[in-house]
Amino acid sequence: MALLRRTVLLALLALVPLVPAALLGQRAASPEYQVKAAFLYNFTKFVEWLDARPGERSPLRLCVLGNDPFGETLDGIVFGEMVGSRPLLPERVDAGEPLNSLRSCQVLFVSRSERARVREVLESLAETPVLTVSDLQGFLDAGGHIQFVMQGNKVRFAIDQAAAERSRLRISSKLLRLALSPSEVR
Amino acid sequence: MGFLRDRPIRQKLVLIIMLVTGEALLLASAGMIVSDVLRSRNDLARDLEIIAAIIADNSTAALQFDQAPDVAATLEALEAQRSIVTAAVYDEKRALFAEYRRPGTSRPIPRQPDRGARRARFGDDSLALFRPIMLDGEEIGTVYLESDLSEIEESVRAQSLTVLSVLVISGLLALALSSGLQRLISRPILALAETARAVSERRDYSIRARKTSSDELGQLVEAFNDMLSQIQRRDSDLQSAKEELEHRVEERTLELRQELLERHRAERELAQTNVELEQSNKELDDFAYIASHDLKEPLRGIHNYSVFLMEDYADKLDADGRAKLETLTRLTRRMEALIDSLLHFSRVGRVDLAVDQVDLNDIVAEVVDSIGINLKESDIQVRVPRPLPTVRADRARVGEIFYNLMTNAMKYNDKPEKWIEVGCKEGTRPPVFYVRDNGIGIPQKHIDSVFRIFKRLHAREKFGGGTGAGLTIAKKIVERHNGRIWVESAQGQGTTFYFTLDQGA
Repeated sequence: MALLRRTVLLALLALVPLVPAALLGQRAASPEYQVKAAFLYNFTKFVEWLDARPGERSPLRLCVLGNDPFGETLDGIVFGEMVGSRPLLPERVDAGEPLNSLRSCQVLFVSRSERARVREVLESLAETPVLTVSDLQGFLDAGGHIQFVMQGNKVRFAIDQAAAERSRLRISSKLLRLALSPSEVR
Repeated sequence: MGFLRDRPIRQKLVLIIMLVTGEALLLASAGMIVSDVLRSRNDLARDLEIIAAIIADNSTAALQFDQAPDVAATLEALEAQRSIVTAAVYDEKRALFAEYRRPGTSRPIPRQPDRGARRARFGDDSLALFRPIMLDGEEIGTVYLESDLSEIEESVRAQSLTVLSVLVISGLLALALSSGLQRLISRPILALAETARAVSERRDYSIRARKTSSDELGQLVEAFNDMLSQIQRRDSDLQSAKEELEHRVEERTLELRQELLERHRAERELAQTNVELEQSNKELDDFAYIASHDLKEPLRGIHNYSVFLMEDYADKLDADGRAKLETLTRLTRRMEALIDSLLHFSRVGRVDLAVDQVDLNDIVAEVVDSIGINLKESDIQVRVPRPLPTVRADRARVGEIFYNLMTNAMKYNDKPEKWIEVGCKEGTRPPVFYVRDNGIGIPQKHIDSVFRIFKRLHAREKFGGGTGAGLTIAKKIVERHNGRIWVESAQGQGTTFYFTLDQGA
């Protein structure tokens, strides 16, 4: 369904030049971020939060820190979806909010706007079970878990498995198999 | 099963056992192979489903993150599974996402998954399967796998080889076992057959079959032996009856031989007597001839001299002397007639018959002719009611018979209307001829002596005279013709003479 929705959106986006901007809404994402939003959602399916109790019913928060590049796309993808027994909940975290509040997230996307304080943010989440994702260059070196990279016009990603394990996250081997090695994105 | 009917029982038993065993083995083998095929198909389907499940599971992330090469790499690993011909993964949109072909094959891969074919489906030469790829309860794609059936074929081939070897080995074993075991049944039967053959060949009913078991065959042997005992008993009874019969026949044969010998002796004696009788008859005939011939000579002299005396000395004799001399002359004439009759009779007995076809009508006509004058004088009517037959006889002698009988019939008749009837009785064989008259008849006491020579029943000059040899000669002629002559008469009413002629008539 997720992929379908993604594809539908992509198809709709292909029609963008023909459709008045007003109809699409102000916060429609670029094709690149359409894919990244879908990936973000898909990651939740291949990652295990080891500290989560079995049958946990509390929402699984998917937080975007800084300027939101996804807009309504992410809400569209995530809305009504469950990861295991947990409903997915998209959340925007403003740059001004205290970093402590980030600890309640299960997935954190660090927007490009936060480039300056990436290390600060990551350090505040050290050994906290929050899956950190960003498309910032050097995100893995800064201690992040997953970093998007573009190969041509294709979205790929690299994963620092060791860092994820330190945060008590288990990443599926299937996902790892698809990922680029951290050394390839430095 | 017709071809089996004339085979020896051993072959029948072995063949029956082999057929049953073979049929059971074949059925079992066929069952094994069929079950193996079914099992192989199930195995193959299950294997394929497991592989599809693994591929589906392995492809989830790659599908989610649009990493077709990863799926392709996963599919490449199928090369290790030689039976898989083609494989494919379709994405959520049911578009071909990644595919695999076994090196060397160009089989087509469906462009879209067949949603109806969720379970393994067997084609002519392959097994195909579509399996949805699920992630968190959502279908994110489809796996397609197609396997050839070489595994099954190989399995069947191997199984068939095993079954065939088992078949051959157990067949040989069954042959060896049945060849041994069939003796349990065939040996007593063959022994029985051999005994039966020996009994019938040698006709020796004292032979007994040996009983080797207590089953139905044993009972058969017992029954056979009982039967032989009965036959033996009957045979000996028959033998003794036959011996007794032979003994009796032998005795009777001896008796018969004895009787035959005695009869031969009697016959020989009879023949001897006959020869002697003939001899004495002939001697008698010869004597009669010689005597009468020699008697004629002096009688002729006596007659001549009595005639000379009468011619030369009649005047010298007185009347009494002349009368005596005339009596002497008459007596010599009579003597001569008697001697002539005797000679004639003797000749009839001695001279051979000149047998020829003789028409009796002619004979009777000739006789009537020769005595015609006398018949006229006596006013006698001769009747022949039916034509007489032609017979084989001596013409002259048969004429003599009729002459003698008819002259007698003519002579001894005192009736005013006299007749003689000559005829032949109808329907007898040989034919019986008769000469009948209405004359004086013959008194019953003289019937037997009428054929005696020179026997006369009346005074010499009464009824025309005669020597008294006529009937005797007629009888002799009839007898020379192997016939019989007899007479029937009623005094004063008439006489009938009957005779037969059996000379080749």
